[in-house]
Amino acid sequence: MTADETPGPEKKTPERHEPEQREPEPQQGRGPADRRPMPPESRPAPKVAGEEPEGRKSDDTRQTADKPADAGGAAPVAEDGTSGEPQTGRQRLVASLWPPRLTRAQLIVALLLFILGLGLAIQVRSTSDSSALRGARQEDLVRILDELDNRSQRLTDEQRRLEGQKTELENSSDQAEEARKQTVEKEQQLGVLAGTVAAQGPGITLTIDDASHSVEADKLLDTIQELRAAGAEAIQVNNVRVVANTYLSDVSGGVGIDGKRVTQPYRFKVIGKPEDLEPALNIPGGVVQTLEKEQARVSVTRQRKIIVDALREAKRPDYARSSSQ
Amino acid sequence: MIAVLGLIVGVVVGLVVRPVVPTVVEPYLPIAVVAALDAVFGGLRAMLDGIFDDKVFVVSFLSNVVVAALIVFLGDKLGVGAQLSTGVVVVLGIRIFSNAAAIRRHVFRA
Repeated sequence: MTADETPGPEKKTPERHEPEQREPEPQQGRGPADRRPMPPESRPAPKVAGEEPEGRKSDDTRQTADKPADAGGAAPVAEDGTSGEPQTGRQRLVASLWPPRLTRAQLIVALLLFILGLGLAIQVRSTSDSSALRGARQEDLVRILDELDNRSQRLTDEQRRLEGQKTELENSSDQAEEARKQTVEKEQQLGVLAGTVAAQGPGITLTIDDASHSVEADKLLDTIQELRAAGAEAIQVNNVRVVANTYLSDVSGGVGIDGKRVTQPYRFKVIGKPEDLEPALNIPGGVVQTLEKEQARVSVTRQRKIIVDALREAKRPDYARSSSQ
Repeated sequence: MIAVLGLIVGVVVGLVVRPVVPTVVEPYLPIAVVAALDAVFGGLRAMLDGIFDDKVFVVSFLSNVVVAALIVFLGDKLGVGAQLSTGVVVVLGIRIFSNAAAIRRHVFRA
């Protein structure tokens, strides 16, 4: 902006104190001789300006309004505007607008207004298009930066918290999976014991061919107990699973196991260690000899794979509850 | 007329060319624009009053701009830049309004 001062610095100071030297400018509509020189700091101008013939009803209001404005472009208000011309402000405005005159004053004002328009356009553009940060002052920028820092800090914290939560959930779901697996395993084990699932493994088959119907429940119970003592883990007699609470009774033409009638030949499928089970049955004075004394034919065979597939339904106890919970 | 043309050309050039303002000057541009607007309104009023003088206009325009920018600059250095620029804008705004009122009386006789 300082470069623009060059047009008239040499005339600035002299014309303030000697306004008479100004050349007459017709669009301002007054003669140069009408001017009364006045130092710029003496500003009782409104009072004098109030005597202007063209300022009719706005006189007193203009006096008050002049005070803030006189330091601006209205500075020459200081001069006495008692020109005898009857022009009103409106006429002057029209006269200055048309026809256009290429005077020095017009050019200078045009230059200044050009600069104003330029600044205006730049400012409007910079505030409208680019981000609000452009042209913001330093403390605002620092504040915005601080806020952003705080925000990113908060977000980082939240991220960390959420990641921890996620890890925790994953762990717990892993644990839940593990627990579920163990539960299933346990259920299988217990199911084998309770007879609710089929079982397979090495073992023996024991067939008691009792054509004379001389084998009774107590003999079969002895056999089962012998097998249990030898480490049998799952026992099936014909199509009845033998479990902990199995009971045997004598019925006509056979044996009742858990209330089901089982007739000869009695086929035992036993899962256990064959090397233990077979000798346990065959020991002298053992099960096999006792049964053979009853004229039953007994055969024991070891097998690599025995499938015990007779099932019992799981019965929910009515009264007994686990005391471990 | 030529002055009005100058204003229009300035706006158009500013919109079309998109000149880059140096970062140092940027914070003072809005205040300078407001100060220049004040000077322009004062000049318009003076013209309507029949007491317009181009040299006074030039001086008041430039000094207005420089003083406004200086105040804001000083305020920035003192740490009250935002408040001072608000104050400058308020003062200039009041002056613009009073000048506009005088212009209105001239133009519309009301």
